[in-house]
Amino acid sequence: MRHTLASGETRQVFEGIGAVGTAAFYVLSIVTVAAFLIGSWRRTQKYRRGRPAGRGGTIRRALLVSPLALRRRPDTGSVAQVATNATIGRRNRGVGIAHFMVFWGFITLFIGTVILTIDFDIVRHVSKWFWGHEDSFFTGTFYLGYSVVLDTMGVATVLGLTYLALRRGVRPPARLDYSRAEQPAGGYSRKALVLGDWMFIGLFAGILITGFLGEAVRIVANKFPEFEIWSPAGWLLARGFEAVGLSAGAAATTHTVVWWSHAFLALGFVIYIPYSKAMHMLVDGVNLLAHDKNATRALPAPPADADHIGYRELADFTWKELLDFDACTKCGRCHEVCPARTGGAPLSPRDLILDLRQWADLQTGGKTLLDREQRPDATGPLQNGQAAVAGTVIPAKTLWSCTTCMACVEACPVGIEHVPTIVQMRRSLVDAGTMDPTLQQALQNLASQGNSFGKSARMRARWTKGLETPIKDARKEPVKYLWFVGDYASFDERLQDNSRLLATLLTKAGVDFGILYEGERNAGNDVRRVGEEGLFEMLAEQNIKSLEAAQFEEIFTTDPHSLNTLRNEYPALGATYKVWHYTELLVHLVESGALPVKPLNLRVTYHDPCYLSRYNGVIEAPRTLLAALGCELVEMPRNKTNSFCCGAGGGRIWMDDSVLSERPSENRIKEAAALEDVGHFVVSCPKDMTMYSDAAKTTGHDGTLTVLDIVRLVDQALVRPPAEPATDDVAVPV
Amino acid sequence: MRIAVILKAVPDLVEEMELTSDGTDLDREYLKFVTNEWDEQALEEALLLKDSDGAEVVAVGMADDPDIEQALYSAVAKGADRAVTIAGATGVDTRSRAAAVAAWLKDNPADLVLSGVQAPDDLDGQLPAALGAALGLPHVSVVVSVALDGAAAIVRQEFSGGRAADLNVTLPAVLGIQVARQAPRYAPVTRVRQVMQSTTIDEASVAVDEAAAGIRVRRMYPPEKTTHAEMIDGSPAEVAARIVELLRSRSLVKG
Repeated sequence: MRHTLASGETRQVFEGIGAVGTAAFYVLSIVTVAAFLIGSWRRTQKYRRGRPAGRGGTIRRALLVSPLALRRRPDTGSVAQVATNATIGRRNRGVGIAHFMVFWGFITLFIGTVILTIDFDIVRHVSKWFWGHEDSFFTGTFYLGYSVVLDTMGVATVLGLTYLALRRGVRPPARLDYSRAEQPAGGYSRKALVLGDWMFIGLFAGILITGFLGEAVRIVANKFPEFEIWSPAGWLLARGFEAVGLSAGAAATTHTVVWWSHAFLALGFVIYIPYSKAMHMLVDGVNLLAHDKNATRALPAPPADADHIGYRELADFTWKELLDFDACTKCGRCHEVCPARTGGAPLSPRDLILDLRQWADLQTGGKTLLDREQRPDATGPLQNGQAAVAGTVIPAKTLWSCTTCMACVEACPVGIEHVPTIVQMRRSLVDAGTMDPTLQQALQNLASQGNSFGKSARMRARWTKGLETPIKDARKEPVKYLWFVGDYASFDERLQDNSRLLATLLTKAGVDFGILYEGERNAGNDVRRVGEEGLFEMLAEQNIKSLEAAQFEEIFTTDPHSLNTLRNEYPALGATYKVWHYTELLVHLVESGALPVKPLNLRVTYHDPCYLSRYNGVIEAPRTLLAALGCELVEMPRNKTNSFCCGAGGGRIWMDDSVLSERPSENRIKEAAALEDVGHFVVSCPKDMTMYSDAAKTTGHDGTLTVLDIVRLVDQALVRPPAEPATDDVAVPV
Repeated sequence: MRIAVILKAVPDLVEEMELTSDGTDLDREYLKFVTNEWDEQALEEALLLKDSDGAEVVAVGMADDPDIEQALYSAVAKGADRAVTIAGATGVDTRSRAAAVAAWLKDNPADLVLSGVQAPDDLDGQLPAALGAALGLPHVSVVVSVALDGAAAIVRQEFSGGRAADLNVTLPAVLGIQVARQAPRYAPVTRVRQVMQSTTIDEASVAVDEAAAGIRVRRMYPPEKTTHAEMIDGSPAEVAARIVELLRSRSLVKG
């Protein structure tokens, strides 16, 4: 349907602007688009410098294969996830809804402008060339529909923006305080970052306000054409102006001023986008579509063609990592959940990304107008291209603070993957030998004996001594399950009782299982996360050799860290196995009646190990098990995938933690101690057992909170013949 | 400037040691061997000298030492320029080792010969002294730092009670290193593996008179377990009283 310009309901484009004004606007528009394109092109050039990231398949899946996928805990992105702002609303419903309104409001207003351009600058001219008269579809029903949609979405945008601005301005959450976790000796200022936020909101708000004002004064100037009620917000505002005595003549004059203000703000904003925080509007959708949590579960192998080990310079980063830097909106969710930052370590995942962004921009000549940290000296991210990124731009102590708990990656609403980037930089620290002496000792022990304790590899299975029924040697006879025991459960004397208990229970339940005895080595999960890739390869090769020589159907592990690398990283080395956690096995045995139990009637809380819940989604098995044992589970505020790290991961257990103001494990114990009438802190990871037993003591909660492995509860609940006493009395209710 | 560092593979003391059936040696078959920790210190001191003054560092091991290649590759990964194994020494005693190394050094002279001041199986630290004697070179042991000064080295020798002396030693010389100026550096496994691909260990052979050893092991004895840990139970006051009693009875505190 086509209408001529003169007929039907419409509004005049460039009303009251005049020929000179219109021409000036076109010149400005061309300049604006050029500046926008140059800025965007420069950004794109920066990403094109990046190494390949291997995310082609990820993006294809997100766009084409499952564009509508909207899972609760998605590993990869999808169009629907971007469109619904699902990641933003996660654990932050209000922000999610407000952002959703702004997001779709902006897109609608943008499309509205594009439609108007198509009509006014293309259809009008083309029709004149072909038919000799100017056609327009911006009229009649179309115009009325257009008006009501844009008006409504404009209001939604204003409401969303108001909520976000009030939240930021009136009572901002602590994470929006931009103070650094790592304090540079020469000081720093992040005032420009705050200014950048307000500039972004301000420009946006300015465009909307002048838009509505312009609409209203135009309606007043045109003496309220009846059909303009289809612009309800403008109409109401116009009625308001009329009520305070704005005449049609005065409105027409005002309209010109407002029109130009709107034009300047809108054009200025378009230029501002690629040079500021606003670039997240372009970058973050792409970053989410390219996001893959599997890249954190299974760390990338070092590039085969690199002439040095680990990340040293800008050329080492992949395009996805460079995109990550620009994607950050400083929301601080990672900053808030980071156990290192919480404990007072000099690491905030947000600072890390912002520093890398500023440094990368400095190398590539990228221009960011505000949103930059200032320092009196050229340190940290302000250093020039000669500075090694690991250890100089990002201090070594910052990189070593990471527990690789993945909370940052999980919390990030825009798909930034901090952990693999940190490990890549750690690799270059390891290569240069920059590490804690205790870590070096642990690595040397792992290299010589295959365990971090420095004990003889031949002593690995010594804990099995004294078991009534010896454990089968899977290297010598076939078994159904291979139990990959792990270092801590094998060597730590405080944990060997638990290992023996599990063995006894499995034997009682008739499970056909065996171990590798001295053929087992540390699985290498944390060695890899330390950045000692060569040692990881060596340990994995040794384990795979033992595994290949053994006969079994499936693996189960006591250690969630071993589970992660066996399940997610060994396949790349040619060893693919079905890997279970022992809680999954136990829940099966209890539910099937192989282990008959009676209710314990305990109120307990349960700590999700990072590598079990967040990394591998084993969340329900321990909860089902607790329920089957008649335990009432009282959840800590941070639970399941939002669990809080004990502080031991990523090799931190081998490093000095005396720099921390509060150990993450102590923070966690306090969280549990605040629960009412909960006397048991249940864990399902050997490292957790040591970390939390210690933390319960150092925080003085060891009298009221018993830290115990879930296997103890199973043992306690076991229905046994009258003559046979329980193995111990740890879990007896008090 | 060439620095030779003499490395020795010794049993990892975390292993359970057993004697051979005739009781004259350790049963080495299932033992894990590591580089003597004091030799690691000597290597680090040599690498520090290379870093500061520039030097060619040669890591030297005995061909018959178990797993010595691993130690030598690791030394090259850390920064040594080349590695050599010496074959021809008989027996494992320190004197014949010294004779073999001396024989090799006569053909391959070094300005500085560094070795660990001692080893778990050479607790009286004979190797550097015997080497100095065999080569007719000055020798200083219990060295805790080395600085080069033209044709001489200024070495700090440590004595008991925290005293030390700086000695001016004319090069060439043999030094027994107690501790390097900084903790031995880490050899990343990737680098070690690269070195294993790219480096060839030179093999040298020397003739050593069997009589050089001068001693013969007649019998070895496993250590007798005599000490027991005492767990102290009771109230804090009782525990404290028991600790005080123990400290007094063992003359660990006065009064």
